Amino acid sequence: MPSVLLTESLAVELGAREPWPVDVKLFQPYDVEQILLPDNANCLAVQAYLKMCGLHFQIENRSNAEFMSPSGRVPFIKCGAFVVSELDPIIAFVGTKGVSLTNDLDNTQKADMRAYMSLINTVLVNAELYVTWCDPTTLNEVTKPRYGSVFPWPLNHIQCWQKRTQVLKKLSILGWAQKSLDEVYSEIESCCNALSQRLEDQKYFFGDRPTELDGLVFGHLFTILTTPLPNNRFAGIVRGYSNLIELCKTVERMYFDRSVPEPST
Amino acid sequence: MNRPMELDIWGGDWGLPSIDLHCLEVMAYAKFSAVPLQTHVTNNPFCTPNGSLPVFKHGKKKINGFSEIAAYLREKNFSADFGLTPKQCAESVAFSHLLSERLHPALQYVWWVDRKNYLELSRPWYAKSLPFPYNYYYPGRYERDAKKIMETLYEVCWDDPVVETGVHAEAEKCLTALSIRLGEEEFFFGSHPSTLDATVYAYLAPLLKAPFLNAALQNHLKACSNLVRFVVRISQRYFASTLQEYEAHKTSQQKPKEDSENYFPNKRRNQFLAALVATVAMTGYAFSTGLIEVSSKEEVKMEDELDEQIDESVFDHSSNEGE
Repeated sequence: MPSVLLTESLAVELGAREPWPVDVKLFQPYDVEQILLPDNANCLAVQAYLKMCGLHFQIENRSNAEFMSPSGRVPFIKCGAFVVSELDPIIAFVGTKGVSLTNDLDNTQKADMRAYMSLINTVLVNAELYVTWCDPTTLNEVTKPRYGSVFPWPLNHIQCWQKRTQVLKKLSILGWAQKSLDEVYSEIESCCNALSQRLEDQKYFFGDRPTELDGLVFGHLFTILTTPLPNNRFAGIVRGYSNLIELCKTVERMYFDRSVPEPST
Repeated sequence: MNRPMELDIWGGDWGLPSIDLHCLEVMAYAKFSAVPLQTHVTNNPFCTPNGSLPVFKHGKKKINGFSEIAAYLREKNFSADFGLTPKQCAESVAFSHLLSERLHPALQYVWWVDRKNYLELSRPWYAKSLPFPYNYYYPGRYERDAKKIMETLYEVCWDDPVVETGVHAEAEKCLTALSIRLGEEEFFFGSHPSTLDATVYAYLAPLLKAPFLNAALQNHLKACSNLVRFVVRISQRYFASTLQEYEAHKTSQQKPKEDSENYFPNKRRNQFLAALVATVAMTGYAFSTGLIEVSSKEEVKMEDELDEQIDESVFDHSSNEGE
């Protein structure tokens, strides 16, 4: 978060005149063997957003992407002299280059969009963290082997333990650590219900053109649907909302069809 | 079930029925959905199921937390949201999450982390309201909790300037979004208040009314005039009695306040007493340690005089020896 304000103000001052460079790189962990559900959702959301903007970028997989990032969270992009991490600052940064998906929206719609993005950031992100780090089956069968896969022996346990402590601390101050798994599922249910009611049978959340909200929703729901977990109720809940599934399919078809096997150099 | 529904809450001040966000949220919701609710100002979160107020009681049932209480009331057929479409309900959920993500940390910051506000406003207020042994414990605990929130959210120490700027920037964006969304309407969804109105009122009213010393965020809220009108409207319509009591209390208190300028009524007398006690104590100490020996000197003098008289009259040599 410290980087947020810094990058926002810096980017406005310095980056505004420069066009979008060709060699923009998006750094993220290895998506086949390392990346975890919450990180994957965030990375996919940023990718979707950049693709919706029509901005070119290259994906770079790094095992230590998390530690390279200025905010300690993935993904981050390197654009000329700037390193910007996470979706919100990236949206602000892209905005300084004169690219935005929300130009057509009026202020009320923008306020609406902000609210729904908050809904996803508070409910889905925390639910993903909860399932990944608090549910004992998932923790032992998926999280620990994957997160530790890039570290040698004693370090993999230490890193896992450290990361878990950090996540648990965050969840406990947000009031999520005390919840039971069923309560978490009912939160997800109500979140998906709200999103589904908002979407109705439109193509995207705000008419025919995608916004960052669509990118964020796609990133999270697509990851939830496609990540194999020992307990698959999470994906099951999302599958109950056909219009959200339809949205994921549309975004995937429009923006990810040809670029799924993105070469990583 | 004819047993009354009761609610234990934090007390109110500055024309608010309660100064606590969560208590206010439940109270406003109850008013909007016409629940006959009896409120008790307990100011004591110790004997509650979750260690926090408000506590909702109905017969033997005790519930903590807004969403649980709202769900229980809905079961009993009380709800403020019956007139909303599913899409509006979705919007209401989304906006309440916007508030909890962006405005809640800012409120925690303003109440507990900001040094000036904490020392001059929140700690004295809570210490005065809480019953005896707890008043030494809870304010400090709330302060620690708030600092922990800042440290976890921003991953730097709580007194880092980054936290303050970050928290305020987020909160201001949120207030602006709310202000735009409300526009010139009476309530968020037309002319009847709903759950979202209760939540927004609970977040904004204490921020608007409390006499903060460091009022950056409060000033931003005051600049959003439609939000201010919104808060005033709800206060006047639904909590009119509290507001009137406070106004009456304020006008009656204003006169004595002017001459003593402080909250101490017998300031002059107390000062005098304190000075007197201090003087007595210091003199007593001086006497006991022998710094001043008034009486003994007089005795010595008298003895000297006596001696001199005796010397003059009888012993001429001894006076020479004494010198």
